[in-house]
Amino acid sequence: MAELRGSSGEAPNHILTRWFGTPDLHRLETYASKAGGYSAMRKALLDMAPADITNEVKTSGLRGRGGAGFATGTKWSFINRDAPGPKYVVVNADESEPGTAKDRYILENSPHMVVEGILIAAYAVGANQAWVYIRGEYDRPYRMLTEAIEEARAKGYIGPKPFGKEYPLDIRLYRGHGAYICGEETALLESLEGKRAQPRSRPPFPAVKGAWGRPTLLNNVETLATVPAILNMGGAEYAKLGTAKSPGTRLLTVSGNVRKPGVYEVELGKTFRHVIMELAGGPPEGRKVKVFWPGGSSAPVLPESMLDTTTDMEALAAARSMGGSGGVIVMDDTHCVVKAAHRLLKFYAYESCGKCTPCRVGGDWAVRTYERILAGQGSQVELDILQRVSDGLQNGRCLCGLGDSAGWVIDSTLRHFREEYEDHALRHECNVGAVMASA
Amino acid sequence: MTALSAQVLEEIRELPAKYPQSRSAVMPALDLAQEEMGHLTPEAMTEVAQALQLDPGYVEGVATFYSLFHLEPVGKHRFYVCTNLSCMLRGANEIVDHVRQAIGVSGSEQVSPDGLFSYEEVECLGACEYAPMMRLDHEYHYDLTTQTIDELITQRRSPTPLAPTLSPGGERVKKPRAPRKKKADG
Ligand SMILES: Cc1cc2nc3c(=O)[nH]c(=O)nc-3n(C[C@H](O)[C@H](O)[C@H](O)COP(=O)(O)O)c2cc1C
Ligand code: SF4
Ligand code: FES
Repeated sequence: MAELRGSSGEAPNHILTRWFGTPDLHRLETYASKAGGYSAMRKALLDMAPADITNEVKTSGLRGRGGAGFATGTKWSFINRDAPGPKYVVVNADESEPGTAKDRYILENSPHMVVEGILIAAYAVGANQAWVYIRGEYDRPYRMLTEAIEEARAKGYIGPKPFGKEYPLDIRLYRGHGAYICGEETALLESLEGKRAQPRSRPPFPAVKGAWGRPTLLNNVETLATVPAILNMGGAEYAKLGTAKSPGTRLLTVSGNVRKPGVYEVELGKTFRHVIMELAGGPPEGRKVKVFWPGGSSAPVLPESMLDTTTDMEALAAARSMGGSGGVIVMDDTHCVVKAAHRLLKFYAYESCGKCTPCRVGGDWAVRTYERILAGQGSQVELDILQRVSDGLQNGRCLCGLGDSAGWVIDSTLRHFREEYEDHALRHECNVGAVMASA
Repeated sequence: MTALSAQVLEEIRELPAKYPQSRSAVMPALDLAQEEMGHLTPEAMTEVAQALQLDPGYVEGVATFYSLFHLEPVGKHRFYVCTNLSCMLRGANEIVDHVRQAIGVSGSEQVSPDGLFSYEEVECLGACEYAPMMRLDHEYHYDLTTQTIDELITQRRSPTPLAPTLSPGGERVKKPRAPRKKKADG
């Protein structure tokens, strides 16, 4: 296995990663004996009513770690546990947001933590079957999760009577096939049903009509992996970590121009300066941070001058960005903002599912406009086009968040780096010395 | 004579029972077909459709949407080099140039003349802390340099048979990413 890059070992803020680095943590025996694994599930099934579990998660204040940051306990309570017929838990392990590797980090280090969280969630919402939708390129995490599920089955934690309780539980895996849009929850459900992954309009929400038309709880890997810790330490204790509105810790993937890239567990409310300059060691010798994406490529950028912004969702919203997937991409002053934005627009244009016009057409328009600018053929017209395309993609003009994200890349880089855009488009020069005509 | 073997067709017919609704079997079925054929030919897709009692156009519509389904031939070993932002900031473009030159593809080609290698630029593979990185067949490779690329190519060109690339969990896995999908039309 590759060298661990990121948080591990005992520290007050290591709720998820405390046991990472323990040899064989991925084996059930080690997870149980060293890390107290499956004690939360035992407690949930034997000592707690399902509504108590959901309430404990509500008390913790946990918010979804997949991107939108929705209150997890509240989401669980939307599922009518007593409705007749099958209900499902669907786990979003599609992790494809550029700059994000934390679900992989969890799955490779402690797959049983995910399995335990899934089983607790299923019991709490009245589901007997969970489906993990895992991106197709994750061969190793898939294998490790498969093995963990087999071990849990052999122990009876998955099966007709987990811990002797008459409550059958099952977990199945479904592999993705390479499409970013499958991370969007309703596109994921379409894909799971064997269709092209095009988002559904809501309502109905998945809690009412989700996988195969049935009530479905959909959560991210990290969200569910946090649940065992919450039950073990108590929701109130968890809520003491972080800020009042964004409690707890989360995993931030720090990548790009830093000396120590890695997946760091951070108490929410710490500054990005702490995360980027201290944990990740800052940019290479002699260089300066120019810009960072605080929550994956979809989160609007922040310039170096905003490094003291804190990692909680409220501070990020006030800074006109968002926590997103926790992918912190750092770019230093030897790189060009316009080129970076061009690369990301190519990504969004390529990954657009094509269902709504502003996204299908706007992405390609933006890419072609960036290409003209980078080829030294730009003018005010190009800058105006970019702004217009960006506006057209945002504010609910698209069915899902992909369109907004594409718009935010353009809008936020234009807002903070107007001069750099004007250098390219109006003066046909690149101030970081990259060759303009090479685009 | 069918494109797919009788055994694979039989396996495909058994898939629907594993899902709450049979349609979910379409992608696992295409995996089996692709594993046998290397890439998905129109005949193979039609046979998958028949085995699952679906419309062939529907099956093709699914196959073309997802980039891990190949509709064109690919190499025996497949490079998927991530060129998204975190990798780009740490030299992914040089890695791409080097891979192309080392396996001998030019222009828009993706398969080496000897058919041993194919290559594709892909979006973020979720291992950005190890950038620049890539997937080669079913394995991730980290902190890439031109030297590691050369070593990997030499190993795969050597006549000593390599251990087969194991599919995860001993199960069948899909072959990697196909040429660019075309956009959906709704
Ligand atoms: C374009 C797009 C891509 C997304 N990709 C992911 C993803 O890869 N993983 C993920 O967990 N959530 C992703 N999300 C968010 C999901 O739609 C959903 O909000 C989340 O999985 C819910 O789980 P949570 O409440 O535990 O965060 C994406 C959203 C959008 C709009
Ligand atoms: S915004 Fe884009 S990705 Fe989302 S549904 Fe519309 S076309 Fe598809
Ligand atoms: S950007 Fe290359 S793995 Fe994420």
